[in-house]
Amino acid sequence: MSTPKLALVDLTKRYQPGLAPAVDHLNMEVEEGHLVALLGPSGCGKTTTLRMVAGLMDPTAGRIVVDGEDITSIPVHRRGMGMVFQSYALFPHMNVAANVAFGLRMRRLPKSERLERVRRALDMVQLGYLAERETKALSGGQQQRIALARALVVEPTLLLLDEPLSNLDAKLRESMRGEIRAIQQRTGATTLFVTHDQDEALDMADRIAVMNGGLIEQFGEPSEVYERPRTRFVAEFIGRANLLDATVVADRGPSGADERRYDVQVPGFGAVGAVGAPGLTGATRTMLVRPHRVQVHCDPGASGSPGTVESVSYTGDSVGYRVRVGDRAQLAEAPTDGRIAAPGDVVRLDWDPASAYLLPEEEER
Amino acid sequence: MKLSAARRRLMILATFAVAALALAGCGTSSPAPAKSAGDDLSGDLNLVAYASVWQEQFQKAVIDPFVKLHPGVTVHYLAKRSSAEMLSALQAEGATPTTDVAIMDQSVANAANAARIFQPFTTKDVPNLAHVQKQFLTPGNYGPVDMADAVALLYDKSVFSKAPTSWNTYWDKKYSGRVAMVDPPSALGIDLTAIVSTMQGEDYHTSIDKAIARLKDLAPSVQSWLPNPDEYQTIITGQTVLSIGQNGRGQYYADQSGGKLGLVIPKEGTAYQLNTVNLRKDAPHEKVAKAFIDYSLSPAAQRAFAAALFYAPSIDNADLPAEVQKRVVRTDGSVKVVDLDPTFVASIRDQWTDRWKREVIGG
Amino acid sequence: MSATTSIAVPRLPGADDLPPGHGVHEHRSRRRDRRTFWALAAPGLLGLAVTYLLPLLYMVRMAFNRGKPDGFIEQTFTLDTLIKPLTDSYYWKVTLDTFLMGLVVAAICVVISYPLALFLTRSTSRYKSLLIALAIAPLLTSAVVRTYGWMVILGGAGLVNSTLMHLGLVTVPLRLTNNMTGVVIGLVEIFMPYAILVMMSGFGRLDPRLEEAAASLGARPRAVFARITLPLTLPALLSAFLLIFVLSISSFITTNLLGGGAVHVLATEIYDQATGLLNWPFAAALSVILLVLFGVVIAIYQTVTRRLRLDA
Repeated sequence: MSTPKLALVDLTKRYQPGLAPAVDHLNMEVEEGHLVALLGPSGCGKTTTLRMVAGLMDPTAGRIVVDGEDITSIPVHRRGMGMVFQSYALFPHMNVAANVAFGLRMRRLPKSERLERVRRALDMVQLGYLAERETKALSGGQQQRIALARALVVEPTLLLLDEPLSNLDAKLRESMRGEIRAIQQRTGATTLFVTHDQDEALDMADRIAVMNGGLIEQFGEPSEVYERPRTRFVAEFIGRANLLDATVVADRGPSGADERRYDVQVPGFGAVGAVGAPGLTGATRTMLVRPHRVQVHCDPGASGSPGTVESVSYTGDSVGYRVRVGDRAQLAEAPTDGRIAAPGDVVRLDWDPASAYLLPEEEER
Repeated sequence: MKLSAARRRLMILATFAVAALALAGCGTSSPAPAKSAGDDLSGDLNLVAYASVWQEQFQKAVIDPFVKLHPGVTVHYLAKRSSAEMLSALQAEGATPTTDVAIMDQSVANAANAARIFQPFTTKDVPNLAHVQKQFLTPGNYGPVDMADAVALLYDKSVFSKAPTSWNTYWDKKYSGRVAMVDPPSALGIDLTAIVSTMQGEDYHTSIDKAIARLKDLAPSVQSWLPNPDEYQTIITGQTVLSIGQNGRGQYYADQSGGKLGLVIPKEGTAYQLNTVNLRKDAPHEKVAKAFIDYSLSPAAQRAFAAALFYAPSIDNADLPAEVQKRVVRTDGSVKVVDLDPTFVASIRDQWTDRWKREVIGG
Repeated sequence: MSATTSIAVPRLPGADDLPPGHGVHEHRSRRRDRRTFWALAAPGLLGLAVTYLLPLLYMVRMAFNRGKPDGFIEQTFTLDTLIKPLTDSYYWKVTLDTFLMGLVVAAICVVISYPLALFLTRSTSRYKSLLIALAIAPLLTSAVVRTYGWMVILGGAGLVNSTLMHLGLVTVPLRLTNNMTGVVIGLVEIFMPYAILVMMSGFGRLDPRLEEAAASLGARPRAVFARITLPLTLPALLSAFLLIFVLSISSFITTNLLGGGAVHVLATEIYDQATGLLNWPFAAALSVILLVLFGVVIAIYQTVTRRLRLDA
């Protein structure tokens, strides 16, 4: 691989000596043109990381490297980043065009070029007609797009987005996702995107860094993070998960490139199939089965482990069940075209062995 | 008018209430023991006069003994910082006065007499009027001078080994920046203007140009035209070494200053500062008021106040003890006194004030 | 955005694209609002009318009377009293001095208070409230007491002069009191807490994110201040300036005590005329001039803020 666009090397931030660090020896590489989501619950250190990259905050230790150059000690105004804030932070005393032109003005661009680039940036977010408006008269979505245009117009080395969608209502948020993603791909801007919303991250990002307690728990493609979570935390934070204790009984041969199929023993379910890393025979592991991979059979003669339906929630697209198997409740999500079970019904649960995944052993933390 | 009628009704009501209370009191206990047989004087007396140290000393020297003589009388003292403030308070009363007696500067009283705010009285009601020196009587039988004082030069005894003898000491460059002065409309400023005018050989009745020119020379030496807290303390606290003030208060503060404050009536002369005692027109308690004015002109009251605050008596039979006599201003013609007729002062006060502001201080 | 409800909903920041509500409910509640407003405002308005408006009208009427030299008022209707100060260069000078004093005091006060207010607004120190309390603590002491304090400090033998003389910087004590210098020093200190309070309350508009956004877009610290911080705090700064100006030109106690009778501004002239010479009509005429001066300055202030589009 060539030089990454951005590399964080042992990046650490400690707000107060004696307190646990907000960001703890974080290492990450971002490829040119990628949109990387920093995903995690509040307090996980994702915003702190973003602010350190922007230069708004000094790291306690570690380095920030952009295009192979260490920028750790370069002040914010010389980093050439484009940042979009959660509150958009549009300058209230300037109109839309002046807001967008601000970065170009600071770069002392000639007026003609400035006007041209502002026009293009506004066209890109399809708000050219608002150029002379006051920012306070704009809707949240419009403000958001102006903020994006303002950050992009300077052709930033990196585009930094701090929870840019969290102030929008649900419907608008979804359409803005697509729009931001499209603009990002069109401009090819390498982007760091802070969010606590897993759907946003899965939908938009090329790579997701799942953060927890100042550390990256997993860094990978959305499907990888979803299907092959490295830790219990990742499995539970992204999507819904059934996590079962499994004892690996036997190796049943290869499954895909570097995984193997195993026979495992799970309390309540007996002997079932699962996949995982090689060499797990005889070990005890946490097994992940996503609810929508669980098949619910209402026919008493069907195969699978019996359980009692505790609750049913119908959403139209699917139907969700809480089913008690043995002494633990499991989640299942079934299509709505078959028979829908009622609470108290005895159903049988099973799944394709390929969709049950044995998590790697967790490191002691 | 409607309002004042209502107020009068309210006052009548209040009087009844007080009387009823008094009767109730009589019913259960014996009459007040101190009440002498022949004294039928009782009720309130509303007095308007000066504040602070003047009030303290006047209370002790005159009011308290008066009330002791007439236990039925209650004196209400409304203190004002200046005669001008007294006059505005009296004017504000309108046609329904509450004030009975006012003691104020002669020139202000003169204007009030002309405006019929005060009323005349004679020896019939105020027998002691017969003993008031002729020079201190007021034409038209209005309130006479009650006490006389004069303007004096104040100095710091720790700076002057020998008492200065001339008003010209103010102009001595040695004391530049350490002179406190008081400008008109204050009486001290008016007095000094007249004195300096006379010293410059002009008649201040027609022109004060020379006086203003001379005072203009003084201006750069003056630290404050508004000495603080007052013209006496400015020397005692060491802010200035020369000041101007009244003889009476000066003597009083000199005693308290531990030898710091000295004062002198310079050889070029002085100007009187005279306070008249005045009877309010339509005074609500006229009988008590007349008795009080009479008492304030009695030898006992005049002696007591002279001993307390070193004002010279206005009567001819005060017989001051020698140690008091030598500290009050002499009223027997042995001191040169510039004549400042109250009518004249009233007519030039604002002009002189203006000229000081524009030419002396602002110049 | 789908907002059809007329019930007031707590708005999230950024959720400001709700269209203004309309319909019958809206009208009815607006009428009720207006009635509630008058009901709530009535006692205050009445109080204002009695304690402010009536005396003000009385004062204006007084300016059309004539003051007589002996301290009496001639009830009449004349323009003479008002014209007198306008045709007298002395009162023009007094008015100009008053105006300049207000400008100088307000300017110094605002310049000194601005960084303090900015610092206090931004501070995240746990001692922040203590610092704010310290900054406005002088308000707990009366202006008179503080003025006397300044008289002691600035006097010939006071702290400033004795220090300067001790250091050999001056041989003759500087005249720091009983003149305009003393008045300006005293007024600046006395009004600083007000300036700080007004500015701090107005600095709410200054979201630190805006300064960060500007910096991230390439603005150096000085450019951030000039283009973001200053323009956004300018309305509060102007309000503070206006307030201090108005307080200064109407202040009497400090001007009188620290001016030592040598500082003649409208407030001291009004006092002298009203209490020294008992010329109430003339004092009223000077008060009317002072009032006009207020009016002019407030009009300028409003024009400036509107011109700068900063008054929202």
